[in-house]
Parts: sequence; structure tokens; C-alpha cells
Amino acid sequence: MKFTKWRKSRPFWGSLMTLLSGLMISWVPLNLYLSTFLPGSIAIIGLLFGGLLTLIGVVALFFPNASKILGIFSIFLSILSVIGALGGFLFGTIFGIIGGALLMAWRLAPVKVNVPPPTDLEKSAHTF
Amino acid sequence: MENSIQLVEGSTSKKVFWSALGTGIVVLALLLVSFGISGVAYAVPIAGVGDFYVEFDKLEGNGYTFFPKMGETSSEDSAPQGTNLIENLTIDHLQLYKDFKVGKQWIRVKITASKPVQITGLQHDAGLIEADAKFENLALKENHSEDWQKQFRQTSSKITLEHAKLKTHYLFQKTINMNGMRLTVEKINK
Repeated sequence: MKFTKWRKSRPFWGSLMTLLSGLMISWVPLNLYLSTFLPGSIAIIGLLFGGLLTLIGVVALFFPNASKILGIFSIFLSILSVIGALGGFLFGTIFGIIGGALLMAWRLAPVKVNVPPPTDLEKSAHTF
Repeated sequence: MENSIQLVEGSTSKKVFWSALGTGIVVLALLLVSFGISGVAYAVPIAGVGDFYVEFDKLEGNGYTFFPKMGETSSEDSAPQGTNLIENLTIDHLQLYKDFKVGKQWIRVKITASKPVQITGLQHDAGLIEADAKFENLALKENHSEDWQKQFRQTSSKITLEHAKLKTHYLFQKTINMNGMRLTVEKINK
């Protein structure tokens, strides 16, 4: 119950998707680095994009007010990550775009909670 | 009398979500299409394929270096070969092919480009080079070194090869621009 309350006060699913996409995008250049030291490699760009996306995912969890701008950044970065990181074989890019869109669409909205109507005793208490 | 109190809770605006998602996918599609049009592939190593042939009508390149080395092929761990490094080059009528023995049959995988191919940052390890060659500022140089691979260098500012056939073991390009690319797989008689 406490977790649900915490989850509802921030863009939870958007952050999670962005975080996942960041990890997927970093996975490709990380493997390239560990298995082959490519000369003059541009894989470093992919690593940078993946890392930034992971960071955005985490930041969005703790600063929900900034979710709109973070969403724009994550869409932008996940599209650019196609260059140099293959966008986590495109899965990372797709996840990043969905995550970013969720972050952008998140907002605090009023909810109506019905409370039981006051009893006669309370009514009379209000009148006096 | 008002029977409800106001609370705030996170919610997702469907309209914003779908428009942001749509925009993202359209931009991604544009990027992919532009890659498709320019035909640029980044950092393409064709390693481990080993012993494949490169043939072309004409190659013009700048910044050429050659040195001998021992390297891996598909049949041996270590075979003598030469490394060619070219900074940037243009190739006309490029053909790359590799023959595989599948059971009793031979299958040839062939990549051809009908238009000139532009490559930057080429590393090419070859076991055999047959071509009509032209060099500018050709220098052959011996160096004193314990490492035999560093003892000999051949450099030239400009290289032109015509009607070439190269037996290749390793090929790496930083960027390659292949317009009019075609990949075919066919049975051949050997």
C-alpha cells in the first residue's frame, strides 16, 4: 500500500521504461568494447547515450516535477542512439521512445474522493 | 453541501502520450530512411570470414601504408599476409565473394555495388594481391626493430589499382558508402 502510494506520486512506469532502454542501449557498445577494441571506435557515443538514458530514468523517479523535460530528452537520446549503439538493436530505442512519451504525459491531476455524508449530529454541530 | 475533498495523484494524459510517441516514431523513421538513402554503415568489420575475394575495376586512394604480418585465416591460426591501410578511397565495380562448401556443393555469397563505393579508414589484410598498380611518392623503407613486422614499410601518398583481385583475410572499414548494393547467394560448380 505504501509502495502504491509512492508509485502514484511519480512517473513510475515511464522512469522504469527509460531505465531499461538505457541499459539495453549501453549493452551493445559495452560488448563491442569488451570483445573487440575497435580502432577509432564510435561505440563510445553509444555508451554515453545509454548511460545518460539510465540516469534520466533514475532522476525522473526522484524529481517527478521535471518529468516533462526529462521525457523530451529521453526520446531525443534514444533516437540518436541508433548511431553508434544500434539503439540496443532498436529495442532500446523503442523502449526509450515509449518511456519518454510516458514521462512527458505524466502530470499531477486532482482526484475526487467521496467521503461519507455528515451525520445529523455533525450537521447540528456545524449550525451552532 | 460539498461531499468530496480534493487530492492530487499522478495520472497520464493519453493525448500527450500518443502525440509524443507518434512524434518519436516519425523522427526515428526519418533517421532510418535517411540512412537507407545515403547507404552509410558505420564501423563494419568483416572479420572471421577469412579467405574471401575482393575484385574491382578501379581503386583510387590516398594515404597508403603496407606492412607484412602473420594473421589468422579460416584454415590456419597463423598465415603470412600483408596489411594495407588506406585513409580514404573510391572503388568502381566492387565485388566481394566468399565460397562455402556445404555438403558436396559450393555456395557463393556475393556482394556487388553498381555505383562507386566510398570508404574511409580501411584496413585490409591480404594473402595475395593481383592488380595493375600505380603509386605516387612511393617509399620503401627498412626500420631497425626487434619486431619483424615493423622492419619494413611501404608508403605512398596516392595509390591506383586497376583490374584487381585480392585474396582477403580481414577487412575493416570505419565508414563505407555502398550505393546500388546487391547481395546474392548462388550455387556454383567448382
